[in-house]
Amino acid sequence: MHLLGKYGARVVALVLVAGLASAALARLAPGAAADERELDPRLSAETVAAMRANEEASHNLGRFLLHYARGLAHFQLGFSQSQNAPVRELIAERGVTTIRELGIALAAALAIGAAFAIPAARFRAARVYDASCAILAGVFLSVPAALLAYVCLVLGGSATLVLALVLTPRVFLFSRNLLAQAYGATHVQMAMARGVDEFRILLFYVLAPAAGAMLAMAAATATIGVGASIPIEAICDTAGLGRLAWQAAMARDLPLLVNLTMIVALATTLAMALAEFFAPREAIA
Amino acid sequence: MNRVRIAAIAVLATLALGALLAPVWARDSYQIQFREAPDAPPSWKFPLGTDALGRDRLTRLGYGARVSFLLAPAAALLTCLEAAVLGGLAGFAGRRVRSVVLFAADLFLTLPWLFLLIAVRACLPLNTSPEISVAITFLLLGALGWAAPARIICAAVGKLNRSDFILQARAAGCSPSRLLLRHLIPNVMPVLLAQFWIAVPVYILAEATLGMLGLGVSEPLPSLGSILRDLEGVDVIAQPWQLAPAIVLAVFAGAFQLVRPREDYSL
Repeated sequence: MHLLGKYGARVVALVLVAGLASAALARLAPGAAADERELDPRLSAETVAAMRANEEASHNLGRFLLHYARGLAHFQLGFSQSQNAPVRELIAERGVTTIRELGIALAAALAIGAAFAIPAARFRAARVYDASCAILAGVFLSVPAALLAYVCLVLGGSATLVLALVLTPRVFLFSRNLLAQAYGATHVQMAMARGVDEFRILLFYVLAPAAGAMLAMAAATATIGVGASIPIEAICDTAGLGRLAWQAAMARDLPLLVNLTMIVALATTLAMALAEFFAPREAIA
Repeated sequence: MNRVRIAAIAVLATLALGALLAPVWARDSYQIQFREAPDAPPSWKFPLGTDALGRDRLTRLGYGARVSFLLAPAAALLTCLEAAVLGGLAGFAGRRVRSVVLFAADLFLTLPWLFLLIAVRACLPLNTSPEISVAITFLLLGALGWAAPARIICAAVGKLNRSDFILQARAAGCSPSRLLLRHLIPNVMPVLLAQFWIAVPVYILAEATLGMLGLGVSEPLPSLGSILRDLEGVDVIAQPWQLAPAIVLAVFAGAFQLVRPREDYSL
């Protein structure tokens, strides 16, 4: 219980510091207090001066954080100037898209990656199959997610497909190594020698002991997916959190950037905590 | 060394040589415009055609690859130095220093690498000279990638610190500086080297991603990322030669993956 409390406090501290750091970064960015509306020639000098004063006030880091903390107590996350909408609404609206996209892509990556990994791990003598799969995975790993998104966009693919293509090779390589180790274990060799059914060996002798590590890998892969969703959604023009994060960073939208940083930090920390929880004890040691 | 690694080294060497010698083999500068031939298809004069501004794609690819191939290892070196100093400090110094360094590392690892990179890059000046934008991009890559290698170095140094030979050296009156220089650093070098090999392709791909999002090296200086940005709105099926930079990038990153030492997972 004490350990859980300590871990929880560390997570909260990490999320808060990440949010604070992103706020400081956006505030200190050159031109952060500038507003492109100031370039409108129809506005008078007084209006521009008033806008500038307003902008300066909203970009005061201390004041922003105080206001943000006060709003957070009432479940208010602030207002995005660049999107002209409340941050809470934006996140709720876009979050659904990204979670759905990530969920489908992760499930597809796990299914396809494991389906290719099982024969490669079981039949170690089938070097051509193993090498072909490894080369294919290597090719996808050697291409940036943004480029895959471009190509898929041209071919009519969706952001979910690109995300699945980014995650599958990672899942394949990790599960192949993991399952090859499991198949090489003495008790599995013994079961094979005794003539135990292949499917039974796979299910109870290989997959069952590797389940913890596989779940840990799924959690770790999800965090990669969160990062990859930014360029993919930006290029595929999908209205998700990834594109919102990119727009917030480009527009230096302080409230949006801080909230997204904290959400991403929280999601990553929780995913990594899950990965640690599911990982075999000896691996952590 | 197996044949695949030798082939990968040969490919890497060829690509690196081609990129480094771009000023020698390229007929013109990367920014020269052939205004009579914008968007030209491949020909004897322009083997990869020209871009929308009439610049020779092959020349730009050569110079762009040169920027990426030279600066990605430099950024990886910076990361390794940071990781060595911070990770070594965390592993060698007391518990308090270790806690502070590991908390900072966790903070960096809390945010996905690409998110962090895009957020930080977008907050830095975008309308700078090409040279400064190159420096910002690769310095940022080098500066932000330290957390994971530092954790590994910290673990390696901690393990070494508890080993028998270090204990014996301490008991023999070895000074901390000698311990560090003669015993710890040489033993951590293979771990650092592995981190370097891992970081280089990651940084090349990260620069390409940043460039494609318009946050990388600014025009007219080419980099693999900024060249790949030209693919936007291009029908790659009708104009397959436009994929040449993507192929060069994939071959380079793939060759790097094959060159680095692999774990043997077979039992």
